[in-house]
Amino acid sequence: MPLFKLEKKAPKAPAGLWDVVISEDMCKACGFCLNICPVDVFAWRKVANKLGWFPMYVAHEGNCVGCMLCYQICPDFCIHVGAKEGQPVAGR
Amino acid sequence: MAVTEIALTERLVAPWAEWAKQYREGRRLLEAGTYALTEGAIAAGCRVFAGYPITPATDIAEYMSKRLPQVGGYYMQAEDELAGMHMCAGASLGGLKAMTATSGPGFTLMHDAYGWAITNEIPLVVVDAMRVGPISGITGAPGQGEFYVARYCSHGGNIETIVLSPNSVQESFWLTIDAFNLAERFRTVVTILTDQVISDMFEDLFLPRDYAELGGIVVPRRHNLTMPFYPLNSDAMDVPPNIVGKGTGVCVSAYTHTEEGYDIEAMEAQWAQTYRLVNKIRHHREEILRYEAVGLEDAEVIAVAYGAASRTVKTGVLEARRRGVKAGFLRLISLWPFADELFGRDARYLVCELNYDGQLVREVMRAAPDKRKVHFMGKSGELHTVAEVAAALEGVARRDRIPELPYIWTEVR
Amino acid sequence: MNKLAAKYLRPSQIPTKACHGCGIGMIENWLLQALDEMGLKQEDVVFGTGIGCVGRQTFATWGGDNFGATHGRALAVATGLKIAQPDKKYLIVVGDGDAAAIGTSHLIHAARRNLGVTVICEDNMGYESTGGQFSPTTPAGYVTNSSPYGMAEPSFDPCDVVKAAGATFVAETTATQWHQTVKIVKKALENDGFSFVHVRFPCNENFGAYALGTRDTLKNLEWIWEHTQGRTVDGKETDFTWETGIKHDASNSRPEFSKILRDMNERVRAKMTEKGSGDGGH
Repeated sequence: MPLFKLEKKAPKAPAGLWDVVISEDMCKACGFCLNICPVDVFAWRKVANKLGWFPMYVAHEGNCVGCMLCYQICPDFCIHVGAKEGQPVAGR
Repeated sequence: MAVTEIALTERLVAPWAEWAKQYREGRRLLEAGTYALTEGAIAAGCRVFAGYPITPATDIAEYMSKRLPQVGGYYMQAEDELAGMHMCAGASLGGLKAMTATSGPGFTLMHDAYGWAITNEIPLVVVDAMRVGPISGITGAPGQGEFYVARYCSHGGNIETIVLSPNSVQESFWLTIDAFNLAERFRTVVTILTDQVISDMFEDLFLPRDYAELGGIVVPRRHNLTMPFYPLNSDAMDVPPNIVGKGTGVCVSAYTHTEEGYDIEAMEAQWAQTYRLVNKIRHHREEILRYEAVGLEDAEVIAVAYGAASRTVKTGVLEARRRGVKAGFLRLISLWPFADELFGRDARYLVCELNYDGQLVREVMRAAPDKRKVHFMGKSGELHTVAEVAAALEGVARRDRIPELPYIWTEVR
Repeated sequence: MNKLAAKYLRPSQIPTKACHGCGIGMIENWLLQALDEMGLKQEDVVFGTGIGCVGRQTFATWGGDNFGATHGRALAVATGLKIAQPDKKYLIVVGDGDAAAIGTSHLIHAARRNLGVTVICEDNMGYESTGGQFSPTTPAGYVTNSSPYGMAEPSFDPCDVVKAAGATFVAETTATQWHQTVKIVKKALENDGFSFVHVRFPCNENFGAYALGTRDTLKNLEWIWEHTQGRTVDGKETDFTWETGIKHDASNSRPEFSKILRDMNERVRAKMTEKGSGDGGH
């Protein structure tokens, strides 16, 4: 079974409760977050950042179910995923 | 021949010329140079030794293993000399004065560690008890083959080094304290080049009664807790050493670095770093200059030596004087930075070293006004005898050449 | 930016010099998580590293005290530092070259002494910083820049070496095992002794390009995943599988090196006071 599954199957958790922030000027466009995310939060920018890469950006924050896979897999400390204010989940 | 009294001026330029007068209460022992070196280090506040046993420095390791726990210090026996010196560098970075001791074969392994400690301005003392070479040579014979290696102790250039050399057991004690002081004041590695004779021989040794009373002459370890950790573009002395483990955020690097210590690939940084590493020593050479001189004022031929060689050479000079040769004696105690200023006299020089390839002689040739007047008397494996030195001095003074003597090398190419 | 990076790292050194898709940053992220979950502050930890990709890319990223030693000698420096500053946690992050090739002697002796440091050996199975030559951990037969006909030498696992030398905590994970790595690093840090955590990770620029035939970051991380699971993406058995998990846990069962020396000093000085010889008994 591959790591980056083509068929996305979202874990059973409510969406829309999470803040997802990417530091686009630190992104080196490895593609890990986009490909591991089961709910298509991310997309590619069409304009390069200061490092010369076309970075990732948060296209559909509302889809996020807080699985944290993007946070774990990003090699450049770019991603912050945190529970939105007032949500019962204290952030895994 | 009647014995005549010769009055020659003697001069010792070294801090212990005063120290020996200050400290009179203590014990007199018959001990070896290695013992004196160890006690000097303990007296200076050394609390870490990490090294690997090697003749003739092994006794230093053994004495340290006994003494350091007594004074709350740590003896570590490293898996090799490179590890040993790196351990000392780590301990010094952590705030403890540290020393290692080795001979030629181990000294060669320390180059990487030397560069790292010098670049990062970590105070350390390294003892190299030289023996004859190349490589392992004759285990029990003295040599002076690391004269240049001690100066060019690491790769990449762009550094200046401090190297000292004692010639007696008593001097080994004081000089080691001096070495630690210089290491602290210049934030660098000070090399003590001694040799198998000075290390292993027994002579009388005076030790001050209580090392706690040496506060007036020992430079204590201070800690630098603020930026800049590396004052680049500055030749300042007496900058406190950095310390790891106090949360200052200091970076200690293997690369050309910034004032904070992290690596940077920029011409400005390369210049600024080298400016500091070289000039902090060069611009303060007078603080490092140490030598002994006898009868230089009217000397027509000056014998130059250091370490064990200087013992018999000095007697040879006195013998030559008795034979009517106006001979002088110059013993270098600080070998590097090389004291060009001591070779301004337009006299003949007889450089006596314990090697055949000629090392000190090249520096003297460079510094003296006329290199044709610099003669080389190299001997390997044994000290020069008094008779040989006196004959050579006579030969140089009267006929401008050293007579043919067995096992004496005179060629410099 | 990742909140832990803001808490622990040095802003001027982020983004790191690592190539895109390099596993080094991923592992560093997990190290920060482990430190955070243990409640450790920046000043509690000293970060040490060496030369090579793992050395170069991590050096100075740490915001607290850190050192980048000469190649292979990080553990030798750490030994001296631990003696002088025993109360800090030491994270020695080195590559397969530093730990398993040039520095193996120091690795073995630090393990033998049970030096209280945690070594994270980040293994990209080659000397990637110099362009992709093979290392003692390159899998047999793989083509690299200096094994154009296939790696002829047998490789070894540094975990076996440190275990034999006496390490009190030995574990292995890969770059696709984030949760396990965080848990294992926490256990490693809790061991007051020599801990060795071996993490295999992908290199896209060199190992990927020459040994695996692609610089595609996704494919190379999949390769790591396959060799962690033992199965390729199309269900076949892989040519080899890494054994991951805790391999040896004798945490806190042996005295730590600096403590051995401190205890010895106490005994020696107690005896001296007994005999009344005071200090400086020469």
